[in-house]
Amino acid sequence: MLQVRAGAGDTLGVLFDRYQAPLYNFYAKLTGDRTLSEDLVQEVFLRILKYSRSYQPGTPFRAWIYQIARNARVDHYRKTPKHISFEPEMAPPVKPKDEAQESQEAEMLHRALMHMPEEKREILILSRFQELKYEEIARLLGCELGTVKTRIHRAIQELRQVFRQLESGPAAAGSAAAPLAPAIPPRRVGS
Amino acid sequence: MNMSCEQIGELLPDYLQGSLSGAKKSMVEAHIAECADCRDEVAVWQKLALLPVEQPSAESRLRFEAMLHAYQEGRSDRGKAHFEPGRSDRGPAGSRSARSFWQWLRTPVGAAAWSAALLLIGLFAGNFYGARTIHGGSTGTSQEEMAKMESELTNMRQLVVLSMLQQQSASERLQGVSYSQREQQLDPQVTAALLRTLHYDGSVDVRLAALDALSKHSAQPQVRSGVLDALQEQQSPLVQVALIDQLVEWRDREAAQQLKNFEQKPDLNPTVKQRAEWAVSKLN
Repeated sequence: MLQVRAGAGDTLGVLFDRYQAPLYNFYAKLTGDRTLSEDLVQEVFLRILKYSRSYQPGTPFRAWIYQIARNARVDHYRKTPKHISFEPEMAPPVKPKDEAQESQEAEMLHRALMHMPEEKREILILSRFQELKYEEIARLLGCELGTVKTRIHRAIQELRQVFRQLESGPAAAGSAAAPLAPAIPPRRVGS
Repeated sequence: MNMSCEQIGELLPDYLQGSLSGAKKSMVEAHIAECADCRDEVAVWQKLALLPVEQPSAESRLRFEAMLHAYQEGRSDRGKAHFEPGRSDRGPAGSRSARSFWQWLRTPVGAAAWSAALLLIGLFAGNFYGARTIHGGSTGTSQEEMAKMESELTNMRQLVVLSMLQQQSASERLQGVSYSQREQQLDPQVTAALLRTLHYDGSVDVRLAALDALSKHSAQPQVRSGVLDALQEQQSPLVQVALIDQLVEWRDREAAQQLKNFEQKPDLNPTVKQRAEWAVSKLN
């Protein structure tokens, strides 16, 4: 019995070591909340334990694991909708000297991302940081490849607009933020 | 030809992922050189690299192990209270207190307490299950439980192999292949995945490792036929020789005819050709 227990831990541990950092980054960039991100990563692995049989061999594994990740977050937001808020704790740390400008830009990018509607932010994160191919994103979001590319382009356009407005000063940033929709929980694909 | 921003927008995502080439890539680059707005979109996309990579805390792994433990104890329902954030039966206040509990765990004192608690849980579980095994307490229920857990484990292992074989890095794919060797019996899906790797993996090392993993399962007909098929498609002399040697080792007489055809291939490496001739003489 102990051997079996150790075996399962060892086995799932391989997946945990491979995916905990990418998943944590996905959640952290999406929610701006490190504590919640760690909770959600744990939830993903609990779900993998429970639903490992639902993986269909031959289909992309990454898309499957991100599907679980998205669903875990949707379920969380459905239960605690009040937590959908921008928490400034995720702003990158201030760095000295030469790095100061980069650091400032990074902070502004982070703020710009957090100002965007969640669906757009999510597709940007999936394509830019999660090493997912557009085909995998299409599968994940349940839409056509062309639609994914169009959405990515629109998201980039919006990010650029918000980023440049934030950059041009606090006054402009205020007006930039005003017309933007607040973050909304994404819909679960296929339901 | 000058393209509009809208037309470029359709190509831009592929351009940003580096999957455009030739005329299309040149068109995008020409447009970007002239159009400040599109150029700025590319610049902002590139600037996203400035965002730091977040590192999960060290406690994350401990929590994972504790979650696994709780799940295996069959207490997953109770465990969920800790590991499933935002349960519906818990109000925002409960959620907050659970979160501040996890935040407390991140402090040095919390981490030490947590480690001690884990150690105690481990000792208790070890004693409890150790004692049950020694006293032969394998009732019908525990045997059933055991079988269920073993099946879960096999399933989990397959999941790991299948996922690792899809990784981008060759070393991770190698890890996936070596993981498959832990199984006495290969699941058909894992066999199929290993054969796919043997046929199509971009790395010679990974293909050779896949052959090595498959070589122990020659009793499965699809393994033999898969290896034979791989020989026809393989371009690397190193893998070709390994495949030929494998067929000889299996004394696969049916392979002799196909090897004869194979050695007639016009652009065959001389060493490989020689090896194939030797194999045919061994098999006949």
